[in-house]
Amino acid sequence: MGKTKLLKIVLVSFVSLAFVFTFSFVGCAQVEEVIEEPIEDIIEDPIEDIIEDPEEEPVPDEPDVEPMEVPEEITIGFSVWTMEFTFFQRVERGVRDAAEDYGFEYIMMDQQSDATKMVEDINTLVGMGVDAISITPVDPGAIGPAVQNARDAGIPVVCADIGFSGPVNALIISDNYLGGQLAAEYMHELLADAPDHSWEFGLGNLSPEWTYARQRGEGFRDKAEELGYEIASELIVDPPDAEGGFDTMQQIMSAAPDIVGAFFCSGREAVGAARAVEAAGEDILVVGYNGDPEELLAIQDGILAATILQLPYEIGYQSVEILYEILVEGAEYEQEEIGAPVELVTPENLDDIAAMIEETTGISAFE
Amino acid sequence: MIKFLKLYEKIGIFILIVLASVVLSIMSPHFLQVRTLLSIAAQGTYAAIIGFGMTLALTMKAFDLSVDAVLALTSVFVAIFIPMVGVPLAIVFSLLIAASVGMVNGLIVTKLGVNPLITTLAMMTIIRGIALLVVGGRQVIITDPDRVFRVIGTGRIFGIPNQIYIMLLLFAIFFIMLYHTPFGRHISAVGSNESAARISGLRVDLIKIAVFMLVSFTAGVVGIIRTSQSLIGIPTMAPDFVLVVLTVAILGGTSLAGGKGNLWGTLFAGIFISMIYYGLNLLGVQIFYQIFSVGLVLLFALFVDGIRTRYLAIAKAKGIKM
Amino acid sequence: MVELQARSLRVKIAQQWGSLGLPFLLVAVVILFSFLSPVFRTQFNFLSILRFASFIAISAVGMAFCIMAGEFDISVGSMMALVGVLGASFVPVIGGFAAVLTTIAISSFLGFVNGIFITKLKIPAFITTLGMMFVFRSLAYIYTDNVSVYIDNDFWLYMGNGRVLGIHFPIILMVLCFVGGYLMLRKTPFGRYVVAVGTNAKAAELSGIHVDRIKIAVFVMVGFFVGISSVVISANMGVANPGLLGQGYEFQVITAVVLGGTLLGGGNGSLGGALLAALILGSLRNGMNLMQVSSYWQQVVTGSVLIFAVAINRLRYTLMGQEA
Repeated sequence: MGKTKLLKIVLVSFVSLAFVFTFSFVGCAQVEEVIEEPIEDIIEDPIEDIIEDPEEEPVPDEPDVEPMEVPEEITIGFSVWTMEFTFFQRVERGVRDAAEDYGFEYIMMDQQSDATKMVEDINTLVGMGVDAISITPVDPGAIGPAVQNARDAGIPVVCADIGFSGPVNALIISDNYLGGQLAAEYMHELLADAPDHSWEFGLGNLSPEWTYARQRGEGFRDKAEELGYEIASELIVDPPDAEGGFDTMQQIMSAAPDIVGAFFCSGREAVGAARAVEAAGEDILVVGYNGDPEELLAIQDGILAATILQLPYEIGYQSVEILYEILVEGAEYEQEEIGAPVELVTPENLDDIAAMIEETTGISAFE
Repeated sequence: MIKFLKLYEKIGIFILIVLASVVLSIMSPHFLQVRTLLSIAAQGTYAAIIGFGMTLALTMKAFDLSVDAVLALTSVFVAIFIPMVGVPLAIVFSLLIAASVGMVNGLIVTKLGVNPLITTLAMMTIIRGIALLVVGGRQVIITDPDRVFRVIGTGRIFGIPNQIYIMLLLFAIFFIMLYHTPFGRHISAVGSNESAARISGLRVDLIKIAVFMLVSFTAGVVGIIRTSQSLIGIPTMAPDFVLVVLTVAILGGTSLAGGKGNLWGTLFAGIFISMIYYGLNLLGVQIFYQIFSVGLVLLFALFVDGIRTRYLAIAKAKGIKM
Repeated sequence: MVELQARSLRVKIAQQWGSLGLPFLLVAVVILFSFLSPVFRTQFNFLSILRFASFIAISAVGMAFCIMAGEFDISVGSMMALVGVLGASFVPVIGGFAAVLTTIAISSFLGFVNGIFITKLKIPAFITTLGMMFVFRSLAYIYTDNVSVYIDNDFWLYMGNGRVLGIHFPIILMVLCFVGGYLMLRKTPFGRYVVAVGTNAKAAELSGIHVDRIKIAVFVMVGFFVGISSVVISANMGVANPGLLGQGYEFQVITAVVLGGTLLGGGNGSLGGALLAALILGSLRNGMNLMQVSSYWQQVVTGSVLIFAVAINRLRYTLMGQEA
């Protein structure tokens, strides 16, 4: 009796473990597939393409030569919010490419949207003795003490997007307020053809702690009100992804059935919202913010009216440039905010923008 | 008191719905429009569908915290499978995967003797981890060129959203299963007195595994509906949704004491929760207040359930016929 | 005769889990990661493992009492967030020291509320604390509008970052909590009552123990230790964030207690085991972070460890011939 029971227990644990592992390995195979493609792309695209991108931003003078002068041992640590979103994958790609271009060693740590892990990671990087740190923080408010630790150890810190606290050297972030304004202006432009429309908009906002990202909503509201619109319903999207956007849009349409347009402060939420509009068979313009593949595909599909493009790759790349300036050229930065450009993506300029993204990042804009 | 409790069990949720309707129609002129009502009902289906599975589990005196993770896992798998095997097979495969998670839950509970709470709590973490691993943390975009897949969650038949039909179909299946089959009676038997059920020769372990599989299956169904709406496989989908599901099942009148499931109650509790969300959105309150109010509703439902269990126990002790 | 010997051997093996199995596991994990990562075996890193373990271990003391009494609390992570933001926001008004005390007092009170719900309304602990988990968390959001509360007070920060003779203050605090917990469990009637209630609540009631009061007391203890952890962890982060403080914390604490050899469902347990288990969890997490193991894998591992721990306990008690 005892024996059979034991046998059973062993058997069952084996089966469950096998289950867990099979799926995980299936998963790994999947991951490799996903990763492989872009790597091939990069090999096909000569690296010069990435660097000699003409007008987007000032690129370091001839980085091909400079790595020679840089001591081999310089290591850059990058702590990223999560590798779950395309946006952050692009920031990471920018940081990684820049580190490669400058001949730095590169260590990446994924906070996986966990502030505790973020703080641990930064401290671990300091403990590992990296020479410079770039952070895309999940909770910009919580990095202060860890940043202080790093600076005390003589390690410069730059935040790539989101926000900051503590004595960071610089923050690189998109002009969010302007992005919101662009969205309102574009919607007004589209509505100009239909003179008898209602003057109500909906707004899918972000949770209050995203101080910088919420400036998108502020920009949109200010511009819309200036143009004579009313924000008839404003909700915070939760959970902050496509399904949350879908639900929120349904709720906005129930609460304010007369709206003619809605702005969502984040891209995937906007896609969910656009799907909700499509499902309801309504005629409501939806504009998003980010420029993720989902959004560009949705614009191509004709369900999303437009989106505001951020340049995450450039933000990541620039963060390493600044660290390079500090480390190698001895430049001084203290808590400086460096703006990154944003652009309106519409069905008209979609192809050009997609080509531009592919050229700069080596990754298709749609994957 | 017992009469009152009996009555509450039967129609309590309807009273709540009527009260909520009165309040909401005063609050908003748009509430009593067909469009709004349908939208509310449609948004109530998610919690209600998983609620059916949860009702079965509660009837068996177990419950499952891993449902929202299973929902996300299904979402990811269906998105991966669609380009590989086409829509219908992808749905079948991902539902099978969802059900197999339930089987693992059931095996751990019955064969390893780990209690359901800990098992499903741990499985929640594991399954979320696997969902993220499978796609390397990415979201999977579904292209759906034939516009077939999106019909599930966004289409309408006779003007009524498809997910309402899906809910009603599942309701009918679960209703017949729980109240009109030997399997349903066995579930109740295990829930009211497990050792007695064991002695009387029921294959308790098998029943438990089946119920866990059914719960995960319902979570899988909702995963597919949700994914077809946004056309994106989201590995982090529906965080903490289990709270809403448990609230719906318990508010619907299914007792934690086991043995008695109330599927009608679950169905309407789903709609009631959706009405609460609608009302809170009209007030324009923050999302935190919504979680807070669902939490309060859960505590209220628990409170009522606690009192009911207590009185029924007293009544039983006194030998009052129920 | 042979059978008897075999049985006693099995019982011995099963009983030695706390004093042999866990240390072995800990050493194995440490050796493994020391080989895999050179950073792991530095003194700096061992201290950070200890510090991370202390975050779990302090609350594990309270949770161990709770589980020994046959109850359960999964609201601890949210409770930590709520009292953390409350306490931190009081700092400018009442000063650091008073704020720390207030934090601990509030969390003890929240534990009391849990206890009242569970004992007086007879609602099962898991579901009550599940509901409370969401209520506490959303209250923390509501109170702060989901904006982090900065901690700019030397006393509070000292609780998480200070050092005595080169050792982080949380580590010392952890040792103090364990000594206190141990004395309470083994040297006071209260400890005996807790075990008695957990072993058989009806028998305890009959022998004159106020079961409800003991249960309420253990929930208050959970709250008390969570309050301390809340201060320590928020001090370590320098900020109290309503959404992220204590996220997934209940999971780690329960895993530590169960892996430490305390049986779910109540009865005797082991505080020392919980401490060792916290160290194992700390080493695992730290080692995996250093190895840059994907956090998704880490999730899978932590979940499996919990199931493994419960299954092992179950097996031990089966071997010992007790019905678990």
